[in-house]
Amino acid sequence: MKNRLKVLRAERDWSQAELAGRLDVSRQAVNAIETGKHDPSLPLAFRIARLFDMRIEDIFDDGESA
Amino acid sequence: MIWNTKEPLGPGEARTRQRNIRQALYIGLAAVIGGVIGGATGFFDQGDGSLFGGNWEDLKLPPMLAIALAVMLLGAFVVLPLSGFRMIDDYKREQNYIAFTGGCVSVLAGFPVWAVLHAGGFVPPPHAFGIFAIAYVSMIASFLYARWRL
Repeated sequence: MKNRLKVLRAERDWSQAELAGRLDVSRQAVNAIETGKHDPSLPLAFRIARLFDMRIEDIFDDGESA
Repeated sequence: MIWNTKEPLGPGEARTRQRNIRQALYIGLAAVIGGVIGGATGFFDQGDGSLFGGNWEDLKLPPMLAIALAVMLLGAFVVLPLSGFRMIDDYKREQNYIAFTGGCVSVLAGFPVWAVLHAGGFVPPPHAFGIFAIAYVSMIASFLYARWRL
């Protein structure tokens, strides 16, 4: 699944470790999500959306939306 | 990295550093328990048996030490992994699920395969430590595969 996490993180000048701490996950998890190797759980997707004050579908794209 | 002495730039990095320290302490505790178990077993071994050879009749430990080691082994193989599962995030939990699944599947397949190969005269009969080793090595291999692929 594609996502804008890396761009959103860069806009705030956050490191992966900074974002990981704010989401209460490991830095490796952030890296795996950014590179599309791992899809976050629904609770984590909500935490990400709240952190960036956006909707989940504005961050993640499963390729199905019109 | 936990040995990074640079001051964290934000609250997130500070929390990540705390997480890394907790993880290092957890691994260190597991290593200490493993070392104590291995050291005590080797130091107080009173028999001529060997786990690798499967000659159980010759294994001998003082009874109280055997009970203490059994308790520590339960801690190392049950309590620590289960508490570890509560500490890690979804991503690492997925890697650990794959590792445990690999170990379990290897035993389920490994024992009958070993048994029929023994029946065919190819290998010695299955023994408990061999099965344990299959599980352990498969678990580590599965974990490394998961870390590489995920």
